[in-house]
Amino acid sequence: MIRYPSFLIVFVILFAAISLYQIKHVITKKEIELHQVKNKINNVQSDLKILKAELSYLKRPDRIEHIALNKLGLKEVLPTDIWNLKDLENVKDNLNNGEHK
Amino acid sequence: MKNFGLFNLYINKNNYAKSRKVKLLTCSLLLVISFTVVGYRTISLASIKKDNTSKIVYKNLQSKAFHKNSRGNIYDRNKKILATTINTLSLNINPQEILNKHETINKLLQIFPQLNEKGLLKKFNTNKKHVNLLREISPREYARLLHLGVEGLKIQKRPKRIYPNNSLASHILGGTDIDGKGIAGIEKKYDAQLKSGKNIDLSIHSGIQHITKKLLLDQINKFEAEGGAGIVMNIKNGEVYSVVSLPDYNANNYNSILSKILFNKATKGIYELGSTLKLITAAIAFESNLINENEVFDVSKPLKVSSRVITDFHPLNYSINIPEVIVHSSNIGSAKIAEKFGPSIQLKYLKLLGLTNKLPLEIPELGRPQVLMDKRILTTMTISYGHGIAITPMHLASATSTIVNNGIKVDPTLIMGKSKIQNKQIISRETSMKMKSIMRLVVSNKYGTAKKAESAGYLIGGKTGTAEKINPNGGYFKKKNIVAFTGAFPINNPKFTITIMIDNPKGQKFSNGYRTAGWVVAPVVKQLVTRIAPILNIKPQLESSSKLSDNLFNYKIRGKKKGENL
Repeated sequence: MIRYPSFLIVFVILFAAISLYQIKHVITKKEIELHQVKNKINNVQSDLKILKAELSYLKRPDRIEHIALNKLGLKEVLPTDIWNLKDLENVKDNLNNGEHK
Repeated sequence: MKNFGLFNLYINKNNYAKSRKVKLLTCSLLLVISFTVVGYRTISLASIKKDNTSKIVYKNLQSKAFHKNSRGNIYDRNKKILATTINTLSLNINPQEILNKHETINKLLQIFPQLNEKGLLKKFNTNKKHVNLLREISPREYARLLHLGVEGLKIQKRPKRIYPNNSLASHILGGTDIDGKGIAGIEKKYDAQLKSGKNIDLSIHSGIQHITKKLLLDQINKFEAEGGAGIVMNIKNGEVYSVVSLPDYNANNYNSILSKILFNKATKGIYELGSTLKLITAAIAFESNLINENEVFDVSKPLKVSSRVITDFHPLNYSINIPEVIVHSSNIGSAKIAEKFGPSIQLKYLKLLGLTNKLPLEIPELGRPQVLMDKRILTTMTISYGHGIAITPMHLASATSTIVNNGIKVDPTLIMGKSKIQNKQIISRETSMKMKSIMRLVVSNKYGTAKKAESAGYLIGGKTGTAEKINPNGGYFKKKNIVAFTGAFPINNPKFTITIMIDNPKGQKFSNGYRTAGWVVAPVVKQLVTRIAPILNIKPQLESSSKLSDNLFNYKIRGKKKGENL
């Protein structure tokens, strides 16, 4: 007659064995998936690096300058294009003083 | 005792059956606990939780899959890629797997016309199992190969170092050998870090680097010069925004470039930079307290010392003070000033300014200054106006920065965020202010030698220098010059130093035959500042602004006619 504890032990052992087998099976599958994902990521990262390098190549200052000057008709910023508000106030003050005099 | 508790293991000899039961139960319990623990642990280890997995996978990929084989990138200060490594495809073949050699050769020649039939046949007839046909093929060629279905092909991925900006900052970036090992520049200096996948952020600003190069190159071409160097450096922290050496080269072709072009004129080449050194002479004079700033020096006659006669390019027939010595760039005046403070004080300040040693810059290509240290008075005099002392343009930029940075030492750096603000006072704040005032006059005054550097609103200050070029076989070339400018802007509150050097310019019609720094280098400085100031967020200001007058002294400079009063 099989006693209760022995039955329990056999059940646990069987359960553990089946679980381990299942886990091993799942992990093997996951490892394959992981390997595939790693390869994909590797390839995408490699492509990304090439794209970033190409972007950097396209953003070369000499190329941007050529496009800005020759295609977009932009011009260099001259000191006379930029004014400080304080300087404008000074100019205004000078003009006012001149008028008073 | 009827208690069968786990910890009550006292067993009566007469109750043997009960004892067996207890043992069995204990073992069972232990087994159950053990299996439960092992089972739980197994399941927890093997469980595929979404969040955990992505992190683990990402970590593994970061640490192993990519960085292990991928050299780190080099970026500019705005995170623009200056150097990176990409995978390229190489074409290899196993001759033993080829069934029809002639058909395979024909197919290969369709895609790669650069290959020749005889060479391929020779390679195919070897006993080797791996033969390299091409080191690099394009993705398009790879696709065609697959489409044609050539047997025995082996396509391998190879890492390749590339520099997307071609020649931009090529002397600083350096290069790698065929195995990806850094052999020059940043690539060599930071080889270990780059190999381990770490990125390097340079202080270089690609835009400013390009503008410096373009303007310098234009001027070199205009004056048919041999080359030049240009530096833009942040005075506050020593970060170098641009460092140009011309002629330069495409960094992608490093291994096939002549060593002459690889030579870095900005950091390795040492030159006598002439009158730019007078700034240091004047600073020493003020700092030594041996000379009063109103003291005058007679420059009306050439100065004979031993066998040497010191003359001026722009002779004056009266006595002048220190600011006038600098503005008129008088060699005689400078020599007389140096005579007063003597060789020991001069040498002390040259050392303090870092002009006697290699710079602590982060590339291997650094020049060691050559300074005559014989302590003879003639040597002291010639060094005072830049002869008998050969330094790199980067040394000059560093010394200029220190002089205008309220006298606090500035060490140049090519790495962003590396520098620590120093507190090493080399010259006093007052001396620095006097120097800035004089430097401004060199550019703004009608008698100044750098008038052509004046860019309205940006308040440039500096000093020009024209020197005979050293002949490697001894002595000097009489008709070959090194012309230079060193200065800062905005000079009332300096933020950036500019140092430009041009090697052997030729006099042109439009320059009335002149090839002096005032004609050759000063216009470059004007254009450079005008273009980079908006990028650097430096706004133009009026000369009459109170900020300017608060920060600078107003020295009066007399002209060439005798009799004008100070």
